Amino acid sequence: MSLDSTSATALPALVRRLLEEHFAGDVNLPVLPDTAMQVMALCRSEKCDAQLLSDRIRRDQALAGHVLRVANSSAYAPKEPIVSLRQAVSRLGISTVQEIAIAVSLNGRVFNAPGWQVRIRDLWMHSAAAAVYAKEVARFLRFNVESAFMCGLLHDIGRPVVLQALLDIAKRRTDLPVPQKIAEAAMDEFHERVGAMVIRRWKLASWLIETTANHHRYPAESLNIEHIDDLRVTVLADALSHWALDEEATKDDFPTEHPVLQDLDIYADDLVELLDMRKRVLEVAESFI
Amino acid sequence: MKKRVDFLVIGGGPSGHRAAIQAAKAGRSVVLVERGHTLGGECVHRGTIPSKTLRESAMYLDGLRQRSEGVFDVQMRADTKVASLMRRMKKVREGHETYMGRQAERNGVEHWQGLAAFRSPHEVEVVLRDGGRQCVKADFIVIATGSHPRRPEEVPIDHEIILDSDSILSLIYLPKSLVVLGAGVIACEFASVFASLGVEVTMVDRHERPLGFLDPELTDEFVRAFENRGGRFVPSRKTVAVTTDGYNAFVELEGGEKIQAEKCLCALGRVANVNELNLGGAGLELTESGLITVDDFGRTEVPHIYGVGDVVGPPALAATAVMQGRIAVRHALGLPTSDFPDQVPVGIYTIPEIASVGLTEAQAIQEHGAATVGRARFGEIARGHINGHTDGLLKLVADEQGEKLLGAHIVGEGATELIHVAQMALYAGLPLEAFLDNVFNFPTLAEAYRVAALNLVGQMTFRQTA
Repeated sequence: MSLDSTSATALPALVRRLLEEHFAGDVNLPVLPDTAMQVMALCRSEKCDAQLLSDRIRRDQALAGHVLRVANSSAYAPKEPIVSLRQAVSRLGISTVQEIAIAVSLNGRVFNAPGWQVRIRDLWMHSAAAAVYAKEVARFLRFNVESAFMCGLLHDIGRPVVLQALLDIAKRRTDLPVPQKIAEAAMDEFHERVGAMVIRRWKLASWLIETTANHHRYPAESLNIEHIDDLRVTVLADALSHWALDEEATKDDFPTEHPVLQDLDIYADDLVELLDMRKRVLEVAESFI
Repeated sequence: MKKRVDFLVIGGGPSGHRAAIQAAKAGRSVVLVERGHTLGGECVHRGTIPSKTLRESAMYLDGLRQRSEGVFDVQMRADTKVASLMRRMKKVREGHETYMGRQAERNGVEHWQGLAAFRSPHEVEVVLRDGGRQCVKADFIVIATGSHPRRPEEVPIDHEIILDSDSILSLIYLPKSLVVLGAGVIACEFASVFASLGVEVTMVDRHERPLGFLDPELTDEFVRAFENRGGRFVPSRKTVAVTTDGYNAFVELEGGEKIQAEKCLCALGRVANVNELNLGGAGLELTESGLITVDDFGRTEVPHIYGVGDVVGPPALAATAVMQGRIAVRHALGLPTSDFPDQVPVGIYTIPEIASVGLTEAQAIQEHGAATVGRARFGEIARGHINGHTDGLLKLVADEQGEKLLGAHIVGEGATELIHVAQMALYAGLPLEAFLDNVFNFPTLAEAYRVAALNLVGQMTFRQTA
């Protein structure tokens, strides 16, 4: 099994040039969804509590429904049905609800490309699983759990943005559909750079920019990364997510020679512990959809 | 295939590294098995070096605040990144790792990354990181696997809201408030550092005083200084429950008080890393506290196996561990070995620092029937005023006649450095008069020794003339 997400097809020079021109200009990047922004701001404020968070989520009916659905999902297995937002926040905890709110907002607004729903869903599922796995890896290593989730969630945010840009460019120039292989090659080549642009535009933390911009460059020794631990966690979570989502992959298929395992001092038994989390990770990631 | 060596050292922290170097310098073949891909152990990666790097930032801030006497309103921004306060840590850590690795390499120590488990008293199987296995047979084996934070069952450590002393160093932002469970060395160090950084810190412990093994005058002074920096110490209270709502931690105390804080640090002791060693295979048993029993030379009940560092219990200090590693190997090789020094200083990197060597006043009375003490407050010392560090105390403990120095105890700026003067005086058996007959630089904090000695002599004179 290959965990390498790069496509085999080389990107045609013309497409590359058009994308380069597109992203070099004053490009219209997606904005950080309002709800995500407000929930993040609220959760960072001193006055945040379960009541305030419930009230804020309640204003976005789609999100409110989603939080309730997640709270009642098998991932969280409540003993009795959760019927109110306040109950859901108490049950899941404020930080989990914050994660759901951000994830759901991104899913609807950024991971969106008409006609490519299946591929977008796969991309989204990969990001969600990487986020959940990143949290578990960070917890295991005593690294920061909160930053890990966001690193995992956003590491591939450039892919749907590149795809959308490609579709827009194609629509302006031709009626022909964009071949899947070309789209994959474009996403592979541009997603790190474009993802970092998006996160920079959203004024999010510097470690999110670093991990998004470099997660496929690891373990290049020349990388001068300030938040190397976040990058390592993201790289491993990325690989674990690819593995977890490959239905045919068994534990033996995970590449034990991956250099990040060496750098994080993760042993075979430790890895098995992480691989054993597959079902739970996928359940939680699924609940974000 | 089985590897045959003179020494196998398990663990590459300060004690294991020292033991390996000592054996290699004696011309012996050495394999050092370490879990991580670099040497240094907890000391370098999660303990001494990272926490002291954070402390340095707190010290700068505290120093500026103290010296400016209100001229500057020195406050941390609410969203200050912890990483920005530890910016030099990566460099310091890498520098130390490199130094330790190169020293081992230069001396011919073979470093294996793996997990060791005894198969017999002389044989150890090493599970390599990639799952491979290798067997080593050694004449002597030194166990130096260190320790990790204890996780009490009743404290749901999630490394997100409820942290241990490892995960607290991964915080992104300074929390607004922190509740610290425990009042031992690690608890007090983190509590005082975060209080100095402007975090609202509450430290809770079931004992009356923090750092119970120290002279109470020192700990009272420490608590005073901690509370002056905005901290709160809650003594003699048991924790009933610790919970989180995913945003805050809630600590419920006996008597019903509930403390809410943005983060909770559980610092209720450490546990020796011995579970994976299969000590039964070596014929070794653990004490009730999960430690390895050793004699003065670090030798276990199996004569060719030694235990050094945190696995043998207190004082569990890096400096002591290094000495333990050296003595163990020299003893194993039949080389001349001085006894473990009687006077081992204790250095605690709280703000302000605390250090101690020799007997406390209570111990001196217990051992000698009586004791005399002399005190110097840093407020009486010119350097203390110049530095803005007037909240310090140096206490000398002497015999009943006020002639023989028995111990010294310091709380205040520079205590961990200052204590070495007393350590050497105790080692050389110098009389108390030595502090009066010698000239100390002026202005220095070391002048406190003279002031304390004068105070002690003054009391003696008063007693004799009264």
